[in-house]
Amino acid sequence: MPKYLCMQRSLPGGDTHKPSPAEMQEMYSQFRAWQQKFRENLVDMGGKLGAGRLVTEPAADGPFVEVKELVGGYMIVSAPSLDEAITVARGCPGLVRRGSGVEVIEIRTS
Amino acid sequence: MSTPQLAEHFFRREYGRLVATLCRRVGEQHIEVVEDAVQSALMAALESWTVSGPPDNPSAWLFRVAHNDVAGTLRQGSRRRRLLEQYGGDAVDSGESCSAPFLANEVQDDLLRMLFVCCDEAIAERSQLVLALKTLCGFDIREIALRLFLSEANVYKLLTRARSRLRKSPPRTEGPSEAEFSSRIAAVHKILYVLFTEGYLSSRQETAIRRELCDEAMRLATILAEHPMGQTPETFALLSLMHLHSARINARQHGSGGLVLLEEQNRDLWDREKIQVGLEWLARSAHGDAFSRYHAEAAIAAEHCLAPSFQETRWENVVNYYSLLERIAPSPMHMLNRAVAVAEWKGPAAGLAVFDGFEPPDWLAGSYMWAAVLADLHGRCGNVELANRYQKLAWKTAPTPAVRNLLEHRLRTSRQTIARHLTR
Repeated sequence: MPKYLCMQRSLPGGDTHKPSPAEMQEMYSQFRAWQQKFRENLVDMGGKLGAGRLVTEPAADGPFVEVKELVGGYMIVSAPSLDEAITVARGCPGLVRRGSGVEVIEIRTS
Repeated sequence: MSTPQLAEHFFRREYGRLVATLCRRVGEQHIEVVEDAVQSALMAALESWTVSGPPDNPSAWLFRVAHNDVAGTLRQGSRRRRLLEQYGGDAVDSGESCSAPFLANEVQDDLLRMLFVCCDEAIAERSQLVLALKTLCGFDIREIALRLFLSEANVYKLLTRARSRLRKSPPRTEGPSEAEFSSRIAAVHKILYVLFTEGYLSSRQETAIRRELCDEAMRLATILAEHPMGQTPETFALLSLMHLHSARINARQHGSGGLVLLEEQNRDLWDREKIQVGLEWLARSAHGDAFSRYHAEAAIAAEHCLAPSFQETRWENVVNYYSLLERIAPSPMHMLNRAVAVAEWKGPAAGLAVFDGFEPPDWLAGSYMWAAVLADLHGRCGNVELANRYQKLAWKTAPTPAVRNLLEHRLRTSRQTIARHLTR
């Protein structure tokens, strides 16, 4: 089954509301339910992305936009089609909201 | 990838526990640093645990992350040197103090200490309440505003005032001194009482949300009662009245969310176990020579809980306790309640006689409770014109549809009773 790279991107004007502890717990439960629902699809939960550097030849000093400003994290989803991968990503609580989106890209291995 | 379910209110409870523990270690003058660190630690937990599952000891994990954050911030601060001198040795750097408080009683002591910190006499009562809800119960500004029927701006203002007072508090990290304990315990009782009644009496909220405030009040009161210095008759009476009231909370509301009159409540829905616990606390409260308002209110609640039916209530006792309550904590509301009980005991005319020579203050005269009681008593006495006047006022001033429905129902039934009497 094809695999898809899902990258969380923060967009300008993101949500600045800090969740309360009760809301965090709610998010945790929703996330858990989402993980259960798409157990088969979630190949690799990935992780957050930190600072990075663009390596080029010849070496350039930058400045480059820091990666973490744009891409917050990634995960790998397996699904029969791009649309179904999008359904999985869209269902993830907190991933797609005001000021934040997910880029879903097919990983071609052949 | 398994993510086990966390205990109910885990994040909220951890918030209160961590704020209390860290404030004890670095001093409440750093409450903002502490609260920010705890918030960040919970966020980090949310992100990390959803991906790789929670660690074996989630509380210790959170403590370590929040503690390191606080230590880092304090170390970096512009007051670096002074802080390091003051806290560097014992609170920030030493590995020993970084160990999480694993002992349950240590956590309880920290929570209790924070409760007394919130009850600083230099902080206004409303600010104390908001501060306790924020720091000990882990509600955020929006959630507090929703529960106390205040605007968010207002809650923010109250919180800012409380925090600015804490910032100025002298650096000290030990628990409340004996002198502080005795000077602040009345304020602690009051704040727990207000927290409970905000939840119990409010007619403006769905039961689940109201219950939460009651549960928080009972949780903190229980912690107080477990501490040797908190074991006073007032603490026990407070716990008694909380249990006796909350035992009946389910019966106060019918399926469609409307309120149910005490007279018509299904007493089988009352929580017998909670009533039993409430009565045990009441027995424990009956020593010493202080008869507090909490004693009087617990005694009234006990009379209702023990009555097999509304008609079989020992109204004479209820009346006497209301008289005591009026003497201890004078309020026209207690008089109003006494009039209702007198009316059940000796008839509506005797109930009305309670108000002889009494001029209600404006806030009471304009309230639906005053109007409803007078409409009811006048109606039952056959004073049709007065009853109608008060009835109109009651409907006009009812704060919510649920209360209006209740009044309508109540006044209709009392009229029917009268009509039956007149046609007999």
